[in-house]
This record gives sequence, C-alpha cells and structure tokens, in this order.
Amino acid sequence: MLSTFNDALNSDRFIVTAEVAPPKGTDISATLEDADLIRGWVDAINITDNQHAVMRMSPVVVGKLLMDAGHEVIVQFTCRDRNRLALQSDILAASVLGIRNLCVMTGDYPTKGDHVGAKPVYDLDSVQLLSLITKMMDGHDMAGNELAGAPSFTIGAVSNTEAARRMQMIKLKKKIDAGAQFIQTQAVYDVEGFGEFMDSFTHPDVPVIAGIIPLRSAGMARFMNGNVPGIRVGDELISRMEDAEDPVQEGLEIAAESIRELRKMCRGVHMMPIGGNSNTPKLLEMAGISALQ
Amino acid sequence: MIISSSKPFSEILDMLMDKESVFIIGCSVCAAKQHVGGEPEVEEMSSNIKDAGVNVIGGVVAKAACSVRSREYLEELAPKIKDADAVLVMACGSGTSNIARFVDVDVYPANNTESLGAMAGDKIIHHLCAMCGQCTIAEFGGVCPTAQCPKELLNGPCGGSMDGKCEVDPEKDCAWELIYERLERIGRLDLLDEVRDAKDRLVK
Repeated sequence: MLSTFNDALNSDRFIVTAEVAPPKGTDISATLEDADLIRGWVDAINITDNQHAVMRMSPVVVGKLLMDAGHEVIVQFTCRDRNRLALQSDILAASVLGIRNLCVMTGDYPTKGDHVGAKPVYDLDSVQLLSLITKMMDGHDMAGNELAGAPSFTIGAVSNTEAARRMQMIKLKKKIDAGAQFIQTQAVYDVEGFGEFMDSFTHPDVPVIAGIIPLRSAGMARFMNGNVPGIRVGDELISRMEDAEDPVQEGLEIAAESIRELRKMCRGVHMMPIGGNSNTPKLLEMAGISALQ
Repeated sequence: MIISSSKPFSEILDMLMDKESVFIIGCSVCAAKQHVGGEPEVEEMSSNIKDAGVNVIGGVVAKAACSVRSREYLEELAPKIKDADAVLVMACGSGTSNIARFVDVDVYPANNTESLGAMAGDKIIHHLCAMCGQCTIAEFGGVCPTAQCPKELLNGPCGGSMDGKCEVDPEKDCAWELIYERLERIGRLDLLDEVRDAKDRLVK
C-alpha cells in the first residue's frame, strides 16, 4: 500500500522528495515519464506552480493526474497568480481531488518569467496563506464563513538556509507558527552553513528537507552564485567541477557527498535536478539511499 | 510628492499631430519641482511643438493642476483655452484628469505618473507610499512594505533578495532590509515578531 507523505514525516525514516514540472501545453507525457523515473524512490513528488513565473499547466490538475498514476504528491501554491478567492477555490479543489499535501511559497516575480507584463497578485503572503489553509482546515474561509466540508492537508513551506539573514529566520518562525508542518529548503552546497542554519532553527520538531540540485558544470555553479538567491557554491566545489573529466558525474558525486552529510543534520532531501530526474535514482544510490520497496 | 517623468517627445507629437490649436497647462507643484511641468518646461514644450509644425495657441502654469476647481476658474486663468482643440497637461495623472473635467476637447498627458515618493535635492525617491488607505507604517519603522516591496509582503522578505537587493530590481534595496535596519536602529525589532494580517483592498 502506498504510504502517505505524512506517514513518512511521522516515521524515523530519511525522507526523499523530488520536483516534477507540469507541461507547457496539453501533452502530459513528459511529466508522467519524469515522475515514473523516480517511482519507488521518493516519498512524494513536488509539483511546481508556474515555476520561475513561467506559465505551465495547473499543478492541482497535474497533482491529480500523478496521484491517479500512483504517486504521492505535494502540490506547490505560490502567492503570485491568485487572489484570496482563487487561492481558496483551488485549495478546495485540491482537497476534493484527493491531494493530501501542499507547499506554500511567495513565488518569483512575473518579470522573472515568460509573461513579464502579467499583473503580480500577492494578495496574501506565504505566512498569511499558511494561516488561511489552517483556518480552512478548521472549517472556515478567510471571511469567516463556514465551509460545507473542510479540507485536510499536510502543509509545508520553503526557506533559504542562511542563518545570518535574521529577517528570513524570523519569517521562517512565522511560517511554522502559521501551520507549516515541514520545510523544504533552497539547494544546499555549503553543508557547514546549513549546520548553522539548523542550529539557529527554532523548531527542532518540524522536519527540514534540504534541497539538492546536482551541479552539471562549473559554469552552472558560477551562474547560480551570481543569479540564484540563497545559493552559495564554494570555490573548492567549483574547482572540482572545473577539473572533472565528466562534470555531470562529478556533480552527482558532490551531491551524494552532501546528502551523506545532510543525513546527519536534517530529516530528508529534496531533489530539484535541472532538466528532469533521469539521474535521481543513481544519485540516491550513490548517497547510500535505497529504494522504498 | 507625486513622481512623474516626461513622455518621449515623439509620443507627445504623435498625439497632437492632427490638432490645429493646442493649449498647454503646467503645474507648479510636483511637476515643476521635478522639471516636467514648470514655467521653463511649458515654454520649451511650446516651442518644440511649434517647431514640429503644430500650432500652439498658449500655455499657462496652474498653481496646482489637481486643485483647479471649476471650468470658470480655468477659463479665467487661461482665457485662450476656449479656442483650443487639444489640451496638453504637463502634470501628474490626477492633475491631468482633473483638468479633463473642465474642458470639452481632447486632453493629453505629457508625463507618465510613476509613484508617490519624495525628492532629496535632485534625487528622486520612488514608492514611499502605495495609498492603500489603511496606513500601518509604524509597524515597519516608517518603511512601507506595501509601497516598497514589489510583492507587498507584510511578514518578511521573499527568498528572492540577494545581497540585500531586491529580486525585481538589483539596483534597489530590499524593503525588508531597510525595515530591519531601521527597526534595529530605533530599538524596535520586537515589532518584527508580530504576524501581520492581509490588508483589505481599498474600494475604488
């Protein structure tokens, strides 16, 4: 029997989640294939919500399709595209379709994506959206009206992992107070820095699932350092990538080493590979993580 | 102060190309201070439009375009406006809109209105207020996240800021950096622990 993501959170197992993107268009096959690559390897699949502000199919619908295909899913909800009415409609829709897990985030600004003139909504922020889902689970909408049937979810949030950014740590605490039951992080390359983040994390009982993006080249590492907030790839790793004969393999080695270290520090890892999950099972094996069955 | 910038002259000219008698109205408040609607700018605009072959019948700088109170007042201020077939307003959007209430010909904006801000010398400071109609600025040390954060986040920064700069514009400080610094300086970091509820949108 397929166990739920909540079962995994409540077990003492090391958790693995991975990201799958909805299609841009009506052809769902590549999304289903990507999910199939990690069948049996992950506790749940995150489905991104117009990731990087690039228009794609609704993650609620893709979540339903992946559940029908036998996957446990975490549907991501950003604050960018929907006001409080639309958010609540989709939260009810997700619930009635059987989706059990949501992960809430602010969402990249429209100018980062492929529809740069889109109206940015941000009617609620991520803390307010978490509070709203909690309230809906208690049977009321945001205006206080009673719901005929309350949704039920395991809800999570995201965070960067820079302990020195105090404002970010304050917001993380607010997210947990507002109902976040798990935290998925930005990609971690600086394991020591991640340790400092975990030390300053105020809620040891809330599972933290550390983000992993395997490096594919030294150029990619430099690009992320300059352009992706919350990511810091150290010089030592960049030299290793530069010197590697097979940079993709080296990137997997580095990620596997990180996972082995992170395993001692947090509850799980969240795989966000660029270009799909073809290497995800291999990487997990390299890191000493076996398939679930 | 309402922050405006001049439209490109070619865009202004396109709007006026088929007009025969253009009247220009400037504004001696915000637009004049920013040099986009004071006396010298109205004169320069008039001469540039004439040079481009469009007839300008006159120009005036209102004390404040947004406080012109009636058609009679406007016609007393600028008697020739009655003969115009187009009015070009060198003010903010509200000034232009206010003038449009009192004339029965096309009214064209010479400026783009950008934000409610301030001026420090010649330096323009954008987005100090979003005019939300429910000011809670003291909760943020006087730095309004509704105005200064593109995502209007009330409970802390998004994950997109980098080195203290905004995800949307790397030249701009992250509003939440400014809020944190300011509250630290005045010894009110305690204000950051409160969860702030979503605002209700102002009905237009």
